[in-house]
This record gives sequence, C-alpha cells and structure tokens, in this order.
Amino acid sequence: MTTASGVRSPDVERGILVEQLSRRFGDLKAVDAVDLQIPSGEIFGFLGPNGAGKSTLVKMLATILAPTSGRAVVAGFDVRRQQGKVRQAIGVALQEVGLDPLMTARELIVLQARLFGTSTGAARDTAERLLDTVGLADVEPKKRVGDYSGGMRRRLDLALALAHDPRVLFLDEPTTGLDPASRIDIWDEVRRLNSQQGMTIFLTTQYLEEADKLADRVAIIDHGQIVAIGTPAELKRGLGEEVVELSFETPDDAERAAAVLADATPQCRLGDGGLRCYFPVAAHEVPGLVRALDQASIPLRGLTIDRPTLDDVFLRATGQSMRGSEEHDAGEPPTDAVAR
Amino acid sequence: MNDFTALIARSLRTYLRQPAAIIPGFAIAVFFLFVYNAGLSSVASLPGFQGSYLAFILPVAIVSAAIGGATLAGEALIRDIASGYFTKLLLTPTKRLALIWGPIVAGGIILVAQVVVILVLALLMGLGSATGPGGLLVVLGFAFLWGMAFSGFAVFVALRTRNGAATQAATLVFFPLIFLSTTFVPKQYITSSWLKVAADINPTTYVFNAMRSVLIDGWRAEPLLVGLAVVLAFATVTGALALWQARKATQLS
Repeated sequence: MTTASGVRSPDVERGILVEQLSRRFGDLKAVDAVDLQIPSGEIFGFLGPNGAGKSTLVKMLATILAPTSGRAVVAGFDVRRQQGKVRQAIGVALQEVGLDPLMTARELIVLQARLFGTSTGAARDTAERLLDTVGLADVEPKKRVGDYSGGMRRRLDLALALAHDPRVLFLDEPTTGLDPASRIDIWDEVRRLNSQQGMTIFLTTQYLEEADKLADRVAIIDHGQIVAIGTPAELKRGLGEEVVELSFETPDDAERAAAVLADATPQCRLGDGGLRCYFPVAAHEVPGLVRALDQASIPLRGLTIDRPTLDDVFLRATGQSMRGSEEHDAGEPPTDAVAR
Repeated sequence: MNDFTALIARSLRTYLRQPAAIIPGFAIAVFFLFVYNAGLSSVASLPGFQGSYLAFILPVAIVSAAIGGATLAGEALIRDIASGYFTKLLLTPTKRLALIWGPIVAGGIILVAQVVVILVLALLMGLGSATGPGGLLVVLGFAFLWGMAFSGFAVFVALRTRNGAATQAATLVFFPLIFLSTTFVPKQYITSSWLKVAADINPTTYVFNAMRSVLIDGWRAEPLLVGLAVVLAFATVTGALALWQARKATQLS
C-alpha cells in the first residue's frame, strides 16, 4: 500500500486516511482521486462550492455510499470491509437533517443510543445530557420534532450524531441556514468536543469564516479534486502578505483593468468586488498600479489594502469566489452537481 | 436483539400516532365481514356447503386487513426515506434486517390487534370455531404471518421506488390475490375454469383453506401444513427482496 506522502502515523490511522478515493456517477467524477491524512484529534475543514464533491466524500467516509475506487480508513477501520466498525466509531450529521417528525427529541436520542448498543437506562441519561448540551432541554418534552423550527432540528440532529460518544465526527455543513447566534453555539460545541474529548472532527462548510475560525487545517475541493490544503494561515500566506483591492465604476472597467494589469502584475484576480492583487508589501506596488490604470484611462472608484482571506485562497484555487454562493443554494444534489 | 426490539417499538409508536393510516384498512375489513356475510350467507344453504358462511367469509376480512397492515409498513418506509431518517438509521451499526423488520413486525402486531377485534365482532355475530379457542389462535398466527409477507413486498417496493404513489399502487396487486381465489364460494361452486386455475395458483387460497379448516372442519393436518408452507415461502421471498433492497440502499443513497 502506498500513500501520497509515503508516510502515515498511527494518529492518521486512528483519524481519517484517504487514498486515491473516487466516486463516479455515470460519467461524472464527483470525487476524483482524493488523498487526505487527518490525524486523530484534529478539526479538519473541508471547503468547496456547491457540487464540488463535499457531501459525496462525507457519505463515502460514513459508509453509506460505496467508493468507485480507492481506499479510506476511518477511526482505524476500512470503510468498505469494516462498515459496522466504522459506523460504531463515527457520528454523522449530514447536510440534510434526518429526523422522524412523529417522534419527540428524547425518543429519537434514546433510540439512537440504543441502536449503538447502549442500555435503555443509560440511553435516557444520554438524552438528558445531550438535550442540555444542544440547548433543547427546555422544550416541551411531548413536542414532536415535526413542530420544531429548522434551527432546533439541526441542533437535535447534532445531538443524535453524538449519542454514542463517537471518536470521529462528520459534520456536513452543520450551520447552513442557521442564525448567527445558533451558529456560534455550534462552533463552541465543536471546539468543546474537540478539546475536552479529543474528538476528530471532519467539517464541511461553505462558510469561509467557519473554516477559518474552527479548523486546524483546511482543504479546498473543486470539481471533485483537492486544490489546496494547509492551515488557514499557511494558505493565506501562500498568496502573499497583503492584498490590494481595486474597485471600479462598472464591471466593464474591471475587466479592462484586469487585462491591462495582467502583464505587469500577474498576481491579480477578478472577483465580484473588483480586482484583488496579492503582494509581499502592498505599499511598494500601489503607485505602479494606479499609474498603469491612469495611462489606460480606466477610472478607479476605490482602493483598499487588506490581509488575504480564505476567500482569496479559494478564488485563486478555484477561479471563483465563495462569497457569491453563500447566500443561495443550500442543497447539494449528490449526483448531478458536478456536471461542468 | 436490542436493536430489533427498539426498532419494532419505535415503529409501533409511530403507527399509533397516525390513526388515520390504520383505520381505513380496518374499516374495510369489518365492512367486508358485515356486507359479504349479510349479502351472501345464502351460499351456506347450497348442497354440500359445510359450516356457517360467517366462518367461511371471516378469513377474507382478515386477509383484507392484512393489506392494510402492509400498506402501513410501506408508507412508513416512504416516510422515513422522505424525512431522511432512513439514512440516519443506515448510519447506525444496526443490522439491515432489523431496519426493515421494525416496520414489518410492527405492522404484523397492529394487524393481530385488528384481527382480535374482528374475531370478537364475529363471535358476537355468532361465529363458532370447530377447534375452539385454539383454532382462533391459529387464525391469528396465519394473519400475522400473512401480514408480514405482504409487508415485505410493500417494503421492497418502497425501498426500490422511493415513491409513495408507486408504493400505494403496488399494494393493488394484493386485490387479485384476495379475489382470484375461493373468496366467496368453495371451489366446487366456482363455474369459470380460469378462476379455478387462478385459485389453484393463488397462495391466498391456501391461507383461506387453513383458516377455514380450523373454524369449520376441526383439526386437520393437511390444510394447516400446506397453508403454513405457502405462507412461509411467500414471506421468505418478499422478506428476501426487501432485505436485498435495504442492503442496496447503503450503496446507492
């Protein structure tokens, strides 16, 4: 067995090890020869636009979708050959919340814990503890989940994923559609699980801020392939220390500016906000930029100097900005999404 | 066993929370019992007819109730697939067999409860059992197994199509199973030869025969053993189809 890097530590074996993992749907390569090594105890952020292959990868690692080829080991067990052991070791909250609307929150947690081998008495204790953890302890006990709000359901779904104290937790877009306060609650809980219980957490997200704040390391996936991987700081540093954002009156001006600057400063990229250029020291470059635009008679509306964000990393890696895709598209159809 | 009992209890609980899904099938069964008994009981005066017409038609009402139980299991699966809860269950280490047995066995239990009510009604209407209370238990046992066999088929279609309308439509195949048989008269009175052939190849005929034998004739091994063999074979086939689809669901979802 060979790995991408040739080395793998026992930590990675107990965390998540992915080797050349692929999944096709017909002609579409939803996940294309992905390699990953995630040591146990890490919070790993998986970023990508809708349809990039995030959910497909999570479903394969969680044993509910068979890989077309390649290998994956989760919590020490092979996802193809040791499905039962993988399932016992992992907790999963998929992007689509899966709850029976006719049942109550307690019933769902108790059943979940029992299906993982917990005795009924212990399962009841687990239910009380987890409802408290996710902030649903005060809900009327007889209230059926069908009457819960979207945010409450998502929190309950997280509680179900934790019902058996998993060693590895998969969270597929855990905060999509949540209000900011609920989002911060989930972040706090993820940090607590990681720091207090040493839980390995594999988190997919469309929110750059989420990956930036939570994850020890981040991978960016696009068209089924990993296009960048590293700590958030490393990824941002890779672009240069500073970014100059140029804004224009019209998109047309922005495109002309991009063409003009393409020769002089190839580290400029066109995003929705205008043109973003990456430099070790921005102040050295600004006069030249302004002069070039002036000579081409392109009016500049604004100029700001900033530090690169993960969005810049994303923009460079995928050629598109994530910002625009954050507001709409909550769902990621697993099969047809990668057609490009 | 922990997960089997937990899943059966969960299915029972959710069935009881939607009485609207249970009552129609039960009402139709009771309706059959009353209407056919009232309208066709003169069949019993035909020369060579043995026993009461009530005892003869009772199994028809019971098998029609079994269709209701099957619909319940199929609809429960569709509901779980639509809500995403089925995926949640697939993510647990639970045996795939337990995942489909939950709704199927719970459907069988609901059916048994309904059949008890139907039997009480029939006793109030004057039903006699040639084998006493033991025969009524045999009737209950057949109802349970036949209901599970139907449920297996409904669950198979639900998992295969993942579509509520298709699952409902599939339960329509049960109607020929009830009516292309010795449903209303014993075989010797069926005049059309195609219906005789249909009755011979229809497994339901042997379930009717077994139930009727204990109610009308007394303890006879042959109809009971044949009936049991047919029920078990049918349940094994539909159960295996359902399990096959449940295993496949893990690979495709």
